[in-house]
Amino acid sequence: MTADGWRCHGNRAARLILMAETMGEAQTEVVENSYNIRPNFHHKFRTGPVKACIQKVLKETLRNKEYIPEEVPQLTKSLSEAIKDKLKETGFDRYKIVVQVVIGEQRGEGVKMAARCFWDADTDNYAQEVFMNDSLFCVAAAFGCFYY
Amino acid sequence: MDEFQTVEETTFIIDEVSNIIKESIESAIGGNAYQHNKVNHWTTTVVESTLSQLTKLGKPFKYIVTCVIMQKNGAGLHTASSCFWDNSTDGSCTVRWENKTMYCIVSAFGLAI
Repeated sequence: MTADGWRCHGNRAARLILMAETMGEAQTEVVENSYNIRPNFHHKFRTGPVKACIQKVLKETLRNKEYIPEEVPQLTKSLSEAIKDKLKETGFDRYKIVVQVVIGEQRGEGVKMAARCFWDADTDNYAQEVFMNDSLFCVAAAFGCFYY
Repeated sequence: MDEFQTVEETTFIIDEVSNIIKESIESAIGGNAYQHNKVNHWTTTVVESTLSQLTKLGKPFKYIVTCVIMQKNGAGLHTASSCFWDNSTDGSCTVRWENKTMYCIVSAFGLAI
């Protein structure tokens, strides 16, 4: 593989070429730059489908769960992993995904959650879902950031 | 390829971010006790001042900042995040802060452009 195969002169591409050359391996596929700076409609991170996806995972995992202090740390981790994997499967092209899950015990305490983002409002988006039962509450938020 | 920016200028430095977050929490909440009608304002102030400090760093990042404030009454709270991104450039930082009456957990994520 030679550098001529690359149309793109971005930093990253240059680094990849270097890597491929120094390692003497030509296994990296040559992807030509599409010059797209916007996701196409089918691959856009839209709130509706993502919300549905999160809701589904939350319902499946938490339906009959109770707040057991020993189990919850593991549960929070696996939930965030599960949601992230589900979203990856959905196939948001060139999106970076951040999933945050908060699980708390239901004891009548006051809780407030807020989020602010500094990003490109045309391409990036988020979705949030809340699940509650008698013993716990769970808030899951997914953020999608387009990588140009 | 010429490098126009040094590594410090283009990476997510956790210590730096964690200091920004701590300062934002201290200045927004400080020694206040949990008040139901103030929480809305506190969470907003914390995320907004953190975000504005982060953008002032002038790094090529998109930022996501979240904040949870919970009243202390013996109930438990857990938070976890999982990310699909470029490990070499992107990063996250979480700060846990508490006083006598509440917990405050702030997470900041930086995603390189």
